[in-house]
Amino acid sequence: MSYIHVEGLCKSFGVRRKREKGALLRKKETVRALQNVSFDIERGGLVGCIGPNGAGKSTTVKVLSGILTPDEGTVTVGGRIPWKDRKQHVRRIGVVFGQRMQLWWDVPILDSYALLKDMYRLTDDAYQKRLAELTEALGLKDMLHTPLRQMSLGQRMRAELCGSLLHQPEILFLDEPTIGLDAVSKLALRDFLQWENREYRTTILLTTHDMEDIAALCSRVMVLGHGQKLYDGSLSELLSRYDTLRTITVHYDDVPGPIVFSDGPRVSRQGKTVQITCQTDQLDMNEMMPLLQRAGAVREMTIQPQNIDHLIAAMYREMDL
Amino acid sequence: MKAYYAVFRLRRRMETQYRAAAVGGIVCQIFFGLVLIALYRALYEGRPQSMPFSSISTYVWLQQAFFRMLLASDAELMDKVRTGGIAYDLCRPVSLYGFYYARILAQKLMGSLLRAAPMLLFSALLPAGWGIAPPSSPAALLCSAGAWLIGLCCVSALENITMACTMRTLDPRGMQAMMNLLMMILAGNVLPLTLFPDSWQPVITALPYAQLLDAPIRLYTGEYALSRAGWIVLRQAGWTAVLTALGYVLWKRHQKRLVLQGG
Repeated sequence: MSYIHVEGLCKSFGVRRKREKGALLRKKETVRALQNVSFDIERGGLVGCIGPNGAGKSTTVKVLSGILTPDEGTVTVGGRIPWKDRKQHVRRIGVVFGQRMQLWWDVPILDSYALLKDMYRLTDDAYQKRLAELTEALGLKDMLHTPLRQMSLGQRMRAELCGSLLHQPEILFLDEPTIGLDAVSKLALRDFLQWENREYRTTILLTTHDMEDIAALCSRVMVLGHGQKLYDGSLSELLSRYDTLRTITVHYDDVPGPIVFSDGPRVSRQGKTVQITCQTDQLDMNEMMPLLQRAGAVREMTIQPQNIDHLIAAMYREMDL
Repeated sequence: MKAYYAVFRLRRRMETQYRAAAVGGIVCQIFFGLVLIALYRALYEGRPQSMPFSSISTYVWLQQAFFRMLLASDAELMDKVRTGGIAYDLCRPVSLYGFYYARILAQKLMGSLLRAAPMLLFSALLPAGWGIAPPSSPAALLCSAGAWLIGLCCVSALENITMACTMRTLDPRGMQAMMNLLMMILAGNVLPLTLFPDSWQPVITALPYAQLLDAPIRLYTGEYALSRAGWIVLRQAGWTAVLTALGYVLWKRHQKRLVLQGG
């Protein structure tokens, strides 16, 4: 059986809503956060999980990490049922909830780490080695004696990550780990996760809204929406379904002459720059190049696929999310 | 065990970081102590009570000095439940009951010791009839200190029950307000329990709240004779065991049905 096995997972929450009229009574509604979700992840897999807000991503992570008990379905992680033997289970997992804090607000982060060391019963050697490794990779060396409250959001995120990885978990659940990180930290974090995955065969399940995280890290991606699994497969295949537009930008030496295509591609001009948008099946550079060059001397040209966020938005629209 | 001690140590250290808050608390408690004693002096002038007045002023000062151990004051802990930050704590290979117990105990121990030391010193310097009287005997002091430690465990167990209930109600305020009110009255903080009518005494001293500070104080003043100390301490320990067990069971049950708020 695969390392993480999820079958027929269901979870619903009772939500109380105010009625339109009357302030006293509330309607009780059931929100089905997960409906019959199934998937498998092999040891050492790096899987991304995307979906709009409220799709059930975080709930999935919480069930897998043993915090929530599902209503129905079977889940095993490394042969154990997460919510049954919680203590045994959590020893092997690391979790990052991007919007919550695990480190102590008022004390230096090193003290929080020392507490984690005792909780996970790490030996001094293992702890020191791992701490050095992590502080190096996450750029935390100068901050170990700084209380969490005095850190910026990005620094705090890195400190939190370090805390989640100290006990060298076999499985890592990352719930929006790159919230608030600047470009440098984001890249460093991605490199680090890749390295961690390769070096220790750490299984990683990542939920995020940052498509670049997914594109950079995950070969496999799952799409959740309305509590259901809508797609499970490679990212490139998913994108190729929706990736239908190309934008060609041409910079001319001078204001170019008229450019006319028979039909299809749309042309917009602004001074010396021309932008052409067309469907991928209409894109034929053998035909287009001569036309573009007839209009003037081409200085520079780029062909861009659609922005990945637009693709995902198009996909959510089509899936009616 | 090491993990629980580690969290105890860390929380204890954290408590020492809020020095300005401690000073503020001391000033406030000294003020309350003086006002209460002035009040009881007026009462005694009108109609002298059976208790010697020095016991009353001693009672008031001890209550005020260790005030910090009574009320729930770890806002961070409550916020964890309210906002779902408890999610991280559930991902630790430790017993949540023990983990939170250690945290609460550390905060109460350090918080009250930090404030008690200067306050006891201050009240000892006050003139007779206003200040704190010495313990009735060295043995009474020793018994009282031991009883205080048990009371500390008892109040931590009580607070952990509130925590467990908060996991169901998801908002600590209502429950806490009620518990605080009960605590203030039944632990003897508003009115020394010794001043309640005699017919009430058997009931009121048997309640868990009386085990927190009232029992140690009465051992200190000699209200409880040393010969009865064994029984007093046994009653304290009994309540502590019951409350700890109850809290533990509630934690186990509520943990399973937990809802995490805020995504």
